Amino acid sequence: MRCMKHFVVAALIATATMGGLLANGTKEGASSASAGKQTTLNWAVWDINSTAYYKPIIDAYEVKNPNVKINMVDLGSADFMTALQTQLASGSSEFDVVTIKDIPGYNNLVKKNMVVNLNDYIKKDGVDTNLYGGTAEQISVDGKLYALPFRSDFWVIFYNKALFDKAGVPYPTNDMTFEQYDALARKMTSGNGANKVYGAHYHTWRSTVQLFGILDGKHVITQPPYDYLKPYYEMVLSEQKDGICQNYATLKASSLHYSGQFQNGTVAMMNMGSWYIATLIQKIKNGEADAAKEWGIVKYPHAQGVAPGTTLGTITSLSISQGSKQKDAAWDFVKFVTSPECAAVIAKTGTIPAIMSDKVVDEISSMDGFPADANSKEALHVAKAYLEMPLHDKAGQIETVLNQYHDAIITGNISVDDGLKKMAEDVRKVLGQN
Amino acid sequence: MQAKQKAELRRHLVAYSFIAPNFIGFALFTLAPMVFAFILAFLDWDGSPYNPMKFVGLENFIRLSDDSQFAAAFKNTIIYTIATVPLTLVMALVIALLLNRKMRGRDFFRTVSFFPYVASMVAVTAVWNMLFNPGMGPINQFLASIGVQNPPGWSTDKDWAMATVVLFSVWKYMGYYMIIYLAGLQGVNTELYEAANLDGCNGWQRFWNVTLPQLSPTTFFILIMLVVQCFKVYDIVYMITQGGPGTATLVMVYDIYNKAFVNSTFGLASAEAMVLFLLVLAVTLIQFGVQKKQEV
Repeated sequence: MRCMKHFVVAALIATATMGGLLANGTKEGASSASAGKQTTLNWAVWDINSTAYYKPIIDAYEVKNPNVKINMVDLGSADFMTALQTQLASGSSEFDVVTIKDIPGYNNLVKKNMVVNLNDYIKKDGVDTNLYGGTAEQISVDGKLYALPFRSDFWVIFYNKALFDKAGVPYPTNDMTFEQYDALARKMTSGNGANKVYGAHYHTWRSTVQLFGILDGKHVITQPPYDYLKPYYEMVLSEQKDGICQNYATLKASSLHYSGQFQNGTVAMMNMGSWYIATLIQKIKNGEADAAKEWGIVKYPHAQGVAPGTTLGTITSLSISQGSKQKDAAWDFVKFVTSPECAAVIAKTGTIPAIMSDKVVDEISSMDGFPADANSKEALHVAKAYLEMPLHDKAGQIETVLNQYHDAIITGNISVDDGLKKMAEDVRKVLGQN
Repeated sequence: MQAKQKAELRRHLVAYSFIAPNFIGFALFTLAPMVFAFILAFLDWDGSPYNPMKFVGLENFIRLSDDSQFAAAFKNTIIYTIATVPLTLVMALVIALLLNRKMRGRDFFRTVSFFPYVASMVAVTAVWNMLFNPGMGPINQFLASIGVQNPPGWSTDKDWAMATVVLFSVWKYMGYYMIIYLAGLQGVNTELYEAANLDGCNGWQRFWNVTLPQLSPTTFFILIMLVVQCFKVYDIVYMITQGGPGTATLVMVYDIYNKAFVNSTFGLASAEAMVLFLLVLAVTLIQFGVQKKQEV
């Protein structure tokens, strides 16, 4: 008799639990706008404190969806994609929405099935991927999209107007060949010790030098041979030798951040991504960049015969974690952040959204702190952007090789010819072509 | 009879329950991952719980044999170990001998030489990077001021990067091994010194014939610890050179990390870990063999 009683209780509990699960399931299926139940979405991000647009995005979304709370989890910027992969590998459902920082990392997540194929969602809600100006195609894998872009940065030349005025040299223009750019950098270099002004500045990423080479559209960085990079390595190595730019070795050994170098007024021109616009405006407002208060941007230099405005691009996108238990709600948030409506919110912070329009350009160029000259506004118009790292099955491994040889070449530890030759050899090995 | 068996079982259970807290932790966090890594070396897996593992036999090891990163890492690990172990050993012994004498401020100097070991790795590597900065570091400025034409590029020069890492390791760890030597020195029988004095030994002979042989168990212990520690170096390289320039300071554990967590080739990484394990095992067995021979 007692046995029977236990059995009944157990059965009741089991039914109740199952019922609860089913109920949850149906609720989940319903639109997140349905009243009553509070949903919390965990969003994996980096640098919460120094990123201007997270809060406005979340505020805008939460106003529209009072039942949803967005909870950011900061994984740090340095190893963001590695940290994210490790977290997702545990199969836990802690994250619903994840930010995609770079292409090799995206490629890994897709291969590992850690992020959800968004095609059905996109079709169901009629999202127009043409709005992203070609970037959506660049991250689609065999016709499947696993992420939607919400930021689309491109590289420009930042310059310090005060230094140009002082030297009596005309500002850089939106149409500079590499030869003109190099000559201008040399012209702007002056002084010694505390008065030293460097004509150019290259941060320690391989992109700052190596990727000048891919802008002619004839070469892809994942495809050896790499002889075409030679003129650019030679240009920067000779600038380094002549003191036109700071030594890579010094910068790397002291882990100096590019923003400090530009903001202390010792750098006339610096090639950097458009993400620095928002940071620089903020730093000037905080009084941390008085020496670079007068600044401007112009389009990236280009090779002979290539259209001005051809540059490097980096996209930041959002994916939904495979382990998420609230994928529909997560999609609703992803859809919002990557929408034209949110693009305006992002643009207001001086950040370039993935959806570019004249309105967005106006929004950014009219914001308080953005340079007033016409050239800076014009520089926001991109003719063609090549991804810093194109989508490739072996992107991560190729990236490791490219970084290693960039490091060796630019520190003068290997000659340009030998370095490029070995780089090609090692990449071929990764590709299985030897 | 049964009662006796029961008592026996109880006795065992009590013993097991005492080692359980430690053993459970060990099994969970060390033993299981080790066994898993061993199996992984024969599998192809990208680390995703959603993707299958595929048995590939010895393919990972064959791929390693043609892997230029692995070749560089293997070579660098050996060079690092060969350079670091004797230097650390000698420095630790010299400092221990000096600080074993009765002298003023002995405790202060003992503390000071132990300090690098307890200081935070992140903090001290940052200081080292500043000191050894090729352009504006005080070390190179000093070298320039005394007339050195081309001061080394330290961590950014492929010929000096490994030396920089070795120098840092010796500085960081000699204090720790000095303490172990100091402890060993306290155990040396003073009667032996008296006997040596009666025989008319000078200081050097006393050291060579009494101190050193008496310290040999300590030296052996330190040697094994140091060798193992050197083979698995990672943090120092990560903080000072990130394996660069090029692959000049890429060591095996760093390469294992790259292969597993950056390139997502967990099988390949585990295969390299197995190679490292066999390397450490072989060296340790040789050391034990030599030690036994000496004892005989």
